[in-house]
Amino acid sequence: MGVYSWWRQPSLMVDNKRPRMAPNLPQLLSALTLLHLTVQVNSLKRGALQDLKCTTSNIQEWECTWTTPQGVSRGTVKEVCIKDRPQPCQKLETTKFKIKALLPGDHEVTIHYQNGFQSKFTLNEKDVSLIPDTPEILALSPDFRTSMLLLKWSDKGSAFPYPSNATWEIKVLRSRSMETVKLVSFNTVLSGKDTVHHWNWTSELPLECAPHSVGIRWRIDNHHFSGYKEWSNWSPLKNVSRPRGSEPEVFPQDIVVLAGSNITFCCLSRTKVLSGQIGNTLRPLIPLDGEDVVIHVLNIPFSEDSGSNVVFTTHYDVYGAVIFAGYPPDIPRKLNCETRDLKEIRCSWNPGRPTRLVGPRNTEYTLFESISGKSLVFKRFETLPNESYWLAFQMLPDQEIYNFTLTSRNRLGQAASALLINVTERVAPHVPVSLKVKDNSSTVVTLSWHLPGNFAKITLLCQVRIYKANSEEEVRNTTIKGVEDSVYFVNVDKLTPYTTYAFHVRCSTEPFWKWSKWSNEKQHLTTEAIPSKGPNIWREWSSNGKKLYIYWKPLSINEANGEILSYKISCSSNEETQSLSEIPVSQHKAEIQLDKSDYVISVVAKNSAGSSPPSKIASMEIPNDNITVEQVVGMGKKIFLTWHHDPNMTCDYVIKWCNSSQPEPCLMDWIKVPSNSTETAIESDQFQPGVRYNFYLYGCTNQGYQLLRSVTGYIEELAPLVAPNFTVEDTSADSILVKWDDIPVEKLQGFLKGYLLYFHKGDRDTPKSRGFESGHSDIKLKNITDTSQRTLRIADLTEQTSYHLVMQAYTNGGLSPERSMIVVTKENSVGLIIAILIPVAVAVIVGVVTSILCYRKREWIKETFYPDIPNPENCKALQFQKSVCEGSSALKTLEMNPCTPNNVEVLESRSMVPKIEDTEIISPIAERPGEIPEADPENHVVVSYCPPVIEEEIAKPAADEAGGASQVVYLDVQSMYQPQAKPEEEQDSDPVVVAGYKPQMHLPINPAAEDTAAEDEADKTAGYRPQANVNTWHLVSPDSPRSTDSNSEIVSFGSPCSINSRQFLIPPKDEDSPKSNGGGWSFTNFFQNKPND
Amino acid sequence: MSQREGSLEDPQTDSSISFLPHLEAKIRQTHNLARLLTKYAEQLLEEYVQQQGDPFGLPGFSPPQLPPLGGLSGPAPSHAGLPVSERLRLDAAALSALPALLDAVRRRQAELNPRAPRLLRSLEDAARQARALSVAVETVLAALGAAARGPGPEPAATSAALSTANSAAGVFSAKVLGLHVCGLYGEWVSRTEGDLGQLVPGGVA
Repeated sequence: MGVYSWWRQPSLMVDNKRPRMAPNLPQLLSALTLLHLTVQVNSLKRGALQDLKCTTSNIQEWECTWTTPQGVSRGTVKEVCIKDRPQPCQKLETTKFKIKALLPGDHEVTIHYQNGFQSKFTLNEKDVSLIPDTPEILALSPDFRTSMLLLKWSDKGSAFPYPSNATWEIKVLRSRSMETVKLVSFNTVLSGKDTVHHWNWTSELPLECAPHSVGIRWRIDNHHFSGYKEWSNWSPLKNVSRPRGSEPEVFPQDIVVLAGSNITFCCLSRTKVLSGQIGNTLRPLIPLDGEDVVIHVLNIPFSEDSGSNVVFTTHYDVYGAVIFAGYPPDIPRKLNCETRDLKEIRCSWNPGRPTRLVGPRNTEYTLFESISGKSLVFKRFETLPNESYWLAFQMLPDQEIYNFTLTSRNRLGQAASALLINVTERVAPHVPVSLKVKDNSSTVVTLSWHLPGNFAKITLLCQVRIYKANSEEEVRNTTIKGVEDSVYFVNVDKLTPYTTYAFHVRCSTEPFWKWSKWSNEKQHLTTEAIPSKGPNIWREWSSNGKKLYIYWKPLSINEANGEILSYKISCSSNEETQSLSEIPVSQHKAEIQLDKSDYVISVVAKNSAGSSPPSKIASMEIPNDNITVEQVVGMGKKIFLTWHHDPNMTCDYVIKWCNSSQPEPCLMDWIKVPSNSTETAIESDQFQPGVRYNFYLYGCTNQGYQLLRSVTGYIEELAPLVAPNFTVEDTSADSILVKWDDIPVEKLQGFLKGYLLYFHKGDRDTPKSRGFESGHSDIKLKNITDTSQRTLRIADLTEQTSYHLVMQAYTNGGLSPERSMIVVTKENSVGLIIAILIPVAVAVIVGVVTSILCYRKREWIKETFYPDIPNPENCKALQFQKSVCEGSSALKTLEMNPCTPNNVEVLESRSMVPKIEDTEIISPIAERPGEIPEADPENHVVVSYCPPVIEEEIAKPAADEAGGASQVVYLDVQSMYQPQAKPEEEQDSDPVVVAGYKPQMHLPINPAAEDTAAEDEADKTAGYRPQANVNTWHLVSPDSPRSTDSNSEIVSFGSPCSINSRQFLIPPKDEDSPKSNGGGWSFTNFFQNKPND
Repeated sequence: MSQREGSLEDPQTDSSISFLPHLEAKIRQTHNLARLLTKYAEQLLEEYVQQQGDPFGLPGFSPPQLPPLGGLSGPAPSHAGLPVSERLRLDAAALSALPALLDAVRRRQAELNPRAPRLLRSLEDAARQARALSVAVETVLAALGAAARGPGPEPAATSAALSTANSAAGVFSAKVLGLHVCGLYGEWVSRTEGDLGQLVPGGVA
């Protein structure tokens, strides 16, 4: 009130005539206060009276009220007058009046009271508030299945000038607490008449779960009205609720939702709910009113066929509901409408994405034809994947154009496909049935079939598929004028007689849309016709020339035109024609007794339709002496023959062949080649590799056949089957003559190219081929390429030697097996004789020459080898001093005369007594073995002497003592030269080690020690030992003429002062002795006494 | 005859009584049928819960309680104390009421699980087999001289149960109802097997 008083006060101050108005407004919102304050301020500016308030609910009529001034009772109002009106004044009894809407602008309003008081107001449309009447809800309908509220109300637009805009505001309150869950506003246009409006809203909470209330208000905006536009009052609330049962309930029940959406379930229960779950997934409980709870399910997956179970559990029981989550139907795909018989149209489609909804929730399809207005419905419970659906629409008479719309619909939505067709262009006929075949002739049949359908105005295009065994199928097109449900006939010509055909038929229409399926197969055998040609014939004479053999080949199926029943042969000459009996069909050879006259042989084949044209051949052959046999080898499995064109050959060429090993008449097969050909390739399954065949080319003239070429050949050459059979005809000391036989033709398996002959020394097998290939020098090879050659002499052999011979034949196909033989060459006797005589002759000549030389030089030889021996009696050296020798029985050496020393040459000393015994000249002392038993335990001959000077030499070192026990061995003349062979070695050698002669002066003093030393030395010393060293020679023979020249043994050979002691000492025959190893022949060997030799 | 009836009334008192050969064969045949159907009923129940989705097939799930379906409930605990003839009469009556319920369940399942032909076939077979077993038990009763028809479910109650099974009721209720029907089927064929077993010579009392 204070506020009202406050904002009313300024207006009274502006216009004193204005009565003071008591504040009677309720509490105002601060915003409205500001608004009114602004309006009042503006009114004051215009000079309007604020206590006159006018409102309108329909713009056309205003209702104004005012407050009576103080001191004026309300019942004293007399009239109200408004200027510029036909009836300006209106009697009043209250402070409220209604007037029709005034024109825009200020209008002066004067209120007269009975007491004469007047109040004047200025009234303007802008000061009038447009407040529509409170709207009334016509209906509020809940759809519990979809949780949707449907609101219906009328705008009462007939009461308002139109067009006017109306703004509506709707609020939805839920639950007992009247919580606003939805407030929405929207605009409509008032059309000047009452219009019922609808508004629906889907609650996320099932409507059964809580009571819902809806209220509505509005305001109107008309641009011709310049006053205030204010909201109407809220309409009375309309409530939607469901009576609750005594048992707990779960909502929503059995709803269908879009997979992936969010759903809320509630459980209305008077007892406490313990849990809530969907499937096996527990969800948190959200309390609602009382014990009621809800659960939210987010992004629900698509359900199983029987739906998803939502279960709430209380202390006493479980309660549940089922929800079906799926998808709206997909747009029908591949919608196709066509007819098979022009009686019904079959529309098929693919449902597209599965909706995952089955049973009553499955998609329903409606096929609607807009021209006829007819529709068909398709629905079934189960849905099979990738299944194509179809509906049959009965065609209407005289309607060719059809406009189909196929709508798919389920509880979640719908989709549609459309198709406009001319049905005559969409004909896919049924399968032709009852296909039949009827013979017209052997080459023409008539096909008939039934094709159901109303094709009276249609041209059919049909195909006949003709299949013949061993041939490609043939398809023939035919056009037929269509009739209704009729049988169609078509002639099929150009067939082969007596042939089994398989026929199929299919049809389409013009214009072409689709072929029907092929009909079932119908097989048919055409009738027979006469054979198209005579048999291929040939003739051969018997070897004795008295019989003529007629050969013919059976006609091919295409040529026979039926089943050949028999053959008929006739033989005609210039005089007569002779017909032979009919030959059964299984026989293809006939024999005729003929002389060598000219006959013409005729052969015809007969079937049930008749006889073939005759095949004729002359019995005689035109001679040809200029025939040579050629060779040919096949390529692949064919034999190629070429020949020059011969204009005389007017008929054809015949090539016959046979196995060369077969006796005459030889005929395996023959072929005929046109006369214009000059080559052919012969191929036969009978050909075998390695078999020789003879081919004969005949040319045909009017007089008969003439042999043109004779060829022998192989389809493929192989290696010979057997080895050549060879023998040795003759053997000499240096050669062998080999002879071999021909290999039979049937064993050759190819054209013989030659023979290979290997031979080598020895009697063992040698890998010939390997040795030959690797160039074994001891294996020799002879390649005989002259196939007519049958012998071969192998020369330059060694006498009396074993030779291994191996022989093979070869063709282009390879080498034959081998055959081998061992041959020994004979002995060469002349050579042996020569070999004996030449050495004998040489020996004789040498002996003669030697004898002559010796005879001629006998004096010199004597001087040299056998000088005169001085008389030992004249030598003082042999006068032994008895006084000296008598004292020692062991010392039995010669007593050397110092003044006249004897020179004893010792050539070699050996301890081998038997050798010594072999000596020709034996020491006289050695002949008395009993005189020296101690010193010669091995029966050695020891010549010892004891000259006086020897005692001086006893003190010599052991080097000389080593030879003290040595025996003196006299060597032969040959041994005397051995030191000369290696003089330096002798000189350089250790005296102890060197074997040989020991000076006799060095006698052992201690026999025991000598024995030991002798044993040691026996191994180390052998052979000749000089009797004294060089110095000794000087000492004992200072006057020797040669002693001063040399100390060599040559020098000492031969004593200058005494030759009577010179002896030939026979050396022991010991091969181990280095001195006895002569190392070759020498002249002195002639003088060597070798008894063993 | 009196001897047979005496054995029927109290077979446990004189188990040495022998039936006529054809009656014995009939009892044995019916008993074998009941035993076979007991196995089938177990398979049917397993197949049924498998097709209803979770939590029906989960262990520990206890289905909602339902009032007697058409006056038909499971065998009472006092059933074992009744005379054999009375028990067989109750068995036959229950088995004769089950085919209609099984048919109703099958029809509803045909909507819910059109792609579960084995379940639908099993429900169809179960209805036919329950009917056959019922007839067989009645035949045995008749052969034994007992009254074939005992107190069966009220027709009105049966129709009410059928309406529950039909599509008018909620899907969840229909599933629960079907579960109960399958359970009842199993219980009654099992009970029938047990009751017939007492008549089979050498059978377990």
